[in-house]
Amino acid sequence: MKKLISYLFLYFVFCMLQFFFGRYISVYGIFPNFILIFVVYLGLSKGIINAQLMGFLFGLTWDVFSTDIFGIRTVMFTAIGYLAGRFCKDFDREKIFTQIVIIFFASTVYWLGFGLIYFIFPDNGNCAFSFSILSVSSKIVVTAMFAPLVFYILEKMDIIRGPRGTTDR
Amino acid sequence: MCRHKESKYGNIIFVILLLIGVFFIAGRLTSPVKLIKNLVYYISYPTLRTADCIFRSMGTFADNVKAIVYMHRENIVFKQKNQELNDKLRNYNSISEECNNLSRLLKLTKIKNIIYVFAGISFGASDERYQWCILDKGGADGLYNELPVAMLNKENDILCAAGKIIETHKTSSKVVLITDSISVIPVEIKDKGINCLAEGSNSSLLKITYIPSDADVKPGDEIVVSGLSAVFQKGMPVGVITEVSEGASADFKTAAAKVFYENNIFNKVVVLVPQKQ
Repeated sequence: MKKLISYLFLYFVFCMLQFFFGRYISVYGIFPNFILIFVVYLGLSKGIINAQLMGFLFGLTWDVFSTDIFGIRTVMFTAIGYLAGRFCKDFDREKIFTQIVIIFFASTVYWLGFGLIYFIFPDNGNCAFSFSILSVSSKIVVTAMFAPLVFYILEKMDIIRGPRGTTDR
Repeated sequence: MCRHKESKYGNIIFVILLLIGVFFIAGRLTSPVKLIKNLVYYISYPTLRTADCIFRSMGTFADNVKAIVYMHRENIVFKQKNQELNDKLRNYNSISEECNNLSRLLKLTKIKNIIYVFAGISFGASDERYQWCILDKGGADGLYNELPVAMLNKENDILCAAGKIIETHKTSSKVVLITDSISVIPVEIKDKGINCLAEGSNSSLLKITYIPSDADVKPGDEIVVSGLSAVFQKGMPVGVITEVSEGASADFKTAAAKVFYENNIFNKVVVLVPQKQ
């Protein structure tokens, strides 16, 4: 029960961060994808199931408000949660360099998947090629740069961790 | 053994969630998926708004506690009064700014048979600021789909085209902006009568297409909504041309235009509702 409340709390915190505070601190529309960082963090620290379920929930919420193809973020965040939990569990998530590299690749996978889905399901002519490479690459870099800070805060908060060393993997 | 079991469950859950996601994508235009979408919207929007209010209240509460502790160290009465005056001054400044903004909006030339509905932007993903936003007014305030949404250009106090409502709920509505890549509006070059199209590009720039190759178009020309638009009023300002380039076709050229509402800092929009007869 306590764990569920912790997850709900973090769900609201990250939704606030992504949807409400962006307007105050974004620069030219470039803003880190905190939700992606959180999903990857969950994958690394809590395992596949928690990461993909939270990814699904975050993706669904974002999709409902967005004008992009409905379901695109649901799929991408779920997949990233799964991939992070499956393939990155052996990495040392406390190293800053590792955090940046993992988030960089996760972000790249996110945007590649985004483009692929747009390519497969073209939506009123709004296809993958309409993405600006400069804008997407800036978002990837900014997200990766923010990863250590978010990881550090989540590690310090420690509110969704059970006894040290126990995870859902 | 236990780890293996967890991993197996993880795979099964992943496949189920992925299938649900693919179902959403493939069936996004069908009624069941739209129903699910609306259901999630109705649950998440009020919840997130309430959570936002609680977070803000917590911030205010924390500030007040901090202020009280500080004042106890010094002269309590003097500090309290000082704080109150500061708070009032802060409120006065924000109210004064809001009042100035609204006064400027009210001074605008009134378009006949149109009701202005002022709405605040509840929220939007900052990395999609040129694509969509959610307004804090909806069906209960007389809004409905396809209504034009305008924002104020701070430099010359004119209303400029910003987007249109695509989804209306009871107390909120979703706006797709003209800079969204799914948006296309018919426009014309001001005072030159050259008709063309303005396509969104998910940035502050619009792509102006179908400009006749012999047309006299240069950077600095203003573009306004043409009479062919079914959503916006003819002549409503849209943006200013920043660059003209020869297109791939010999008959037409293209241009880039900066939207007027780019510098809008009010976080407020005006929905133009036609007055019913």
